[in-house]
Amino acid sequence: MKTFKFPMRYVPISATILVFFIVYLIGIISFQNFGSPKVFLDLFVDNAYLGIAAIGTALVILTGGIDLSVGSIIAFTSILIAKMIASGCNALWAIALALVIGILFGMLQGWLIHCFSLPPFLVTLAGMFFIRGCGFIVSEESIGIKNDPVFNFIQNDLTIKLGKGMNLRFIVIVYLVVLIMAIFFSQRTRAGRSIYAIGDNELAATLMGIPVGRTKIMTYTIAGFCSALAGVVYAVYLKAGNPLNCVGLEMDAIAAVVIGGTLLTGGVGYVFGSLFGVLVLGLIQTLIVFDGRINSWWTRIIVGLLVLAFIFMQNLITKISKSKSKTQ
Amino acid sequence: MNKSSNKFRHLVWPLVSLALLLLFNAIFTDNFFKIEIKKSDSAQAVQAPSVPVESPQPGTSWITPESYDNAGDSAEAAAQAAADGVEAAAQAEGAVQTIASEAEQQAPVKKDGKGVSIFGYYLYGTPIDILNQGSKVMVLAIGMTLVIATGGIDISVGAVMAIAGAIAALLISMLDAGNCIGAGMGPSFYWIIPVLAALLLATLAGFWNGMLVAGFGIQPMVATLVLMVAGRGVAQLITDGQIITFDNPGLVFLCNGHALFLPFSVWIVAAMYVIAGLLTRKTAFGLFIESVGNNERASRYAGIEARRIKWLTYVICGFCAGVAGLLAASNIKCADSNNAGLYLELDAILATVIGGTSMAGGRFFLSGSLVGAILIQTLTTTMYMKNVSPAIVAVPKAMVVIIVCLLQSPVFRAKVLSIFASKAAKGGVQ
Amino acid sequence: MNKFATVIMAVAAATLLVTGCSKSDSSKIKVGFSQVGAESDWRKASTESIKGEAAKRENIELTFSDAQQKQENQIKAIRNFISKGVDVISFSPVVATGFEDVLKEAKEAGIPVVLFDRAVDVSEDGLYVSFIGSDFVEEGRRAARWVLENVGENANVAELVGTVGSAPAIDRKKGFEEIIKDHPGIKIIKSQSGDFTRAKGKEVMESFLKSPEADQIQVLFAHNDDMALGAIQAIEEAGKKPGKDIIIISIDGVKTMFEAILAGKANCTVECNPLIGAQLFDVVEKIHAGETVPARIPSQEGVFDSKNITQEVVDGRKY
Repeated sequence: MKTFKFPMRYVPISATILVFFIVYLIGIISFQNFGSPKVFLDLFVDNAYLGIAAIGTALVILTGGIDLSVGSIIAFTSILIAKMIASGCNALWAIALALVIGILFGMLQGWLIHCFSLPPFLVTLAGMFFIRGCGFIVSEESIGIKNDPVFNFIQNDLTIKLGKGMNLRFIVIVYLVVLIMAIFFSQRTRAGRSIYAIGDNELAATLMGIPVGRTKIMTYTIAGFCSALAGVVYAVYLKAGNPLNCVGLEMDAIAAVVIGGTLLTGGVGYVFGSLFGVLVLGLIQTLIVFDGRINSWWTRIIVGLLVLAFIFMQNLITKISKSKSKTQ
Repeated sequence: MNKSSNKFRHLVWPLVSLALLLLFNAIFTDNFFKIEIKKSDSAQAVQAPSVPVESPQPGTSWITPESYDNAGDSAEAAAQAAADGVEAAAQAEGAVQTIASEAEQQAPVKKDGKGVSIFGYYLYGTPIDILNQGSKVMVLAIGMTLVIATGGIDISVGAVMAIAGAIAALLISMLDAGNCIGAGMGPSFYWIIPVLAALLLATLAGFWNGMLVAGFGIQPMVATLVLMVAGRGVAQLITDGQIITFDNPGLVFLCNGHALFLPFSVWIVAAMYVIAGLLTRKTAFGLFIESVGNNERASRYAGIEARRIKWLTYVICGFCAGVAGLLAASNIKCADSNNAGLYLELDAILATVIGGTSMAGGRFFLSGSLVGAILIQTLTTTMYMKNVSPAIVAVPKAMVVIIVCLLQSPVFRAKVLSIFASKAAKGGVQ
Repeated sequence: MNKFATVIMAVAAATLLVTGCSKSDSSKIKVGFSQVGAESDWRKASTESIKGEAAKRENIELTFSDAQQKQENQIKAIRNFISKGVDVISFSPVVATGFEDVLKEAKEAGIPVVLFDRAVDVSEDGLYVSFIGSDFVEEGRRAARWVLENVGENANVAELVGTVGSAPAIDRKKGFEEIIKDHPGIKIIKSQSGDFTRAKGKEVMESFLKSPEADQIQVLFAHNDDMALGAIQAIEEAGKKPGKDIIIISIDGVKTMFEAILAGKANCTVECNPLIGAQLFDVVEKIHAGETVPARIPSQEGVFDSKNITQEVVDGRKY
């Protein structure tokens, strides 16, 4: 009889899910109302934009790269949409333009990274500065989106009502759909599997005949699209655009991806993990707000420690699996 | 190719860019190169307080009237300590590089003979500002260059700066409360304690990073991400969430005082570069770093203690961050945990890369990092003088970085040259 | 696997330690407050006023959240307050836009909202019950009036603006310009954002002093004291005398600024009172008891310059 061995590769993500449940449990024990479904749904609503951005970041990190321009693209997209709507443009055109810009920008970054062998860190860093500045050129102040028919439609009609005052908001639906598509893409399509191959060993992938350049540029393009989509979601979430917002968001996205079980060296991890990474981050923040006694800078310390814990665990697992493969 | 020119080849493009920028300024910016010689106002130095003032409680923001006037006095004391080789740094502010602050304290001629008397004159002008304000990034770039040369990275330096500034401000305000400031007299050397504490804490932070990277083998980006995220939280813990201001003349002198016509921060930078240069080029240390960065496994086989070398580079980087943090805090006479050193790690990395050090590790160029830091600061200052909003400053900065990186990329150069070669219809690509 | 379990336990234990157990007492009025952050002395005083007042009052149970100057954190905090089931929500918005949705949610949940210190920009009415805070426009006007009375009809003014897009910055500028538009001799020759921080104030002032118009600057109007204090440093470094060569007027009224005025380095500060914790909880109690409250409650404030600042005033200054 074959004994069931828990596959090593599922350990990190299982750990994340476990942590999520443990923290949730602590919250429920400690506070009334923490267990209400509203809290759970709010996690999604408040973090949908981060989740979408984390999906793109996860894919990039799986190729062994990194994307630091995420937060700035979100800010730029949101202020662009807000400005265009305020100038009388139809919201749908604004959203379409924003998504196109995101795609093109991602493509540009991917092209620079691959074709000139520039480090992804630098290119996306420069990209971050560049597009943040562009956001300020669009508008220095935040702009509200008021009385726009498209946005009102999204807000009021595209919500699935679950009764008892709870709604599945449109932005949450968008996030879940993108997540499912990304999971399918990374696990079941050739391009997705190529991403894993490139992240694991780029040279071997090239020798295998995988179109490395094309795939890498495509990954950064997808990341750009995800960031722009996150920006659209953010604009819907705030009903405003603000060039100053989302500073440092890319670090939150990276933390979420790491907590979700993806190795920064690439090739290992699941896009699904980023969902739980985002949820864990949101949960910790919720816990601290509910308590109200802890100073908010503890959030940073706790998140830092959590990331550390996960890194240690991933390290350990890698060492164990390496030593196992040696003895075999 | 001439072999000897290889030694400075990495400096070509950064220097060219810097020269172009300065040329642009010379033509289009009024007063850019105007340097005046200002005389320090010795009349300010001796003014007894007109009202008795209690010493400040720790954690309160408090500028006593006479410390406003006597700020210049202890410039000397600080200069003395500087002569002893103690270094400290001051704090930067928000996401944007700032124009240099001018000498806050104009060093008066010393009356009580406590320290080195500094000539009562100093230079004043935009190029001086660039050097002063850029001092933080220049110092950070030293440590960053060494870390990147081993193939790693340290994104926590901004947070470490905040921690260093926080502990210095906290200790100095506690000490100042203990010793009545009075008329700015009394043993004014106790400011060394916060400086040393800040440097120690920063070095420990570097030690922590080194432990994670070299000791546990964690990827540098992630390992330093931990401190970057948590570090600001720690800094706020130290200051209890407040902005602690201080006015201790010794501490303030670090970024605001002058010695021999130039801002004191410039001398700190110069001293650190000289020490770093000697350490890396006159000992085997630099060779080992390059070796580890180039091929860690081969270095180990050659008998180099790769782990120890890497660990040490992170410690040095932490120390540099401590110096920069002290400079930043001294600059605005307070410790702002939220904004100190924000995004300066990115500038330091940019400066390093512009200077020719590859992010993959290997050969490093401290001189290049220095030029890179000056280039970045000049760019920021130019934007300011052109009344460009701070946020938009980031755009040309990003473009310059990309352009310089492209110019340094052999792939890019090959492609460009091949275009020219094929156009000229001559054989032989370089 | 043991190490793995230990790590998980450690994380869980850390969280447990951090959160503890807290049950809410249903007889108290539960208030959820989201503060902007801890970016300045003024903000610090405001926070202490709120926390201190809540501690004094037995019937108030305060849940305090610091948004670290990020709007997203405030929105999350408010949503969490709604989930937690507080009786009253109060907050000081980081930026004026973007709160419409979450305020609607609060309204639907039946939780009254009191705005504190800054206002929001929403298109719907009835999203908040009351707004307690300074009248920023009036502060700008007071500053302009002081300049007219004490400097004269002709002056070149350099303006240090607050955080771009924030209510105080927009309103103070508006108030100032409203008064001076009838006096063409007063001109604003330079205006740039110092972000309400001391460091930026210093930096921007330095750039002003290096610009071609540097010698024309006669008056500095800073939107808050912290920026003015930074600017004072810059002016001294440039070899000028703050308070004499350049007249300095700012808004807030923090103790440090009082001391600077006493020392002759600054000239006037328009008070912006952060110690309105007591007023806030008075309003909260009234709302909870079902009374109607005015939609706009301005704080009590004055104007302080060298004529009415003495050492006793400085010593008695709480913030």
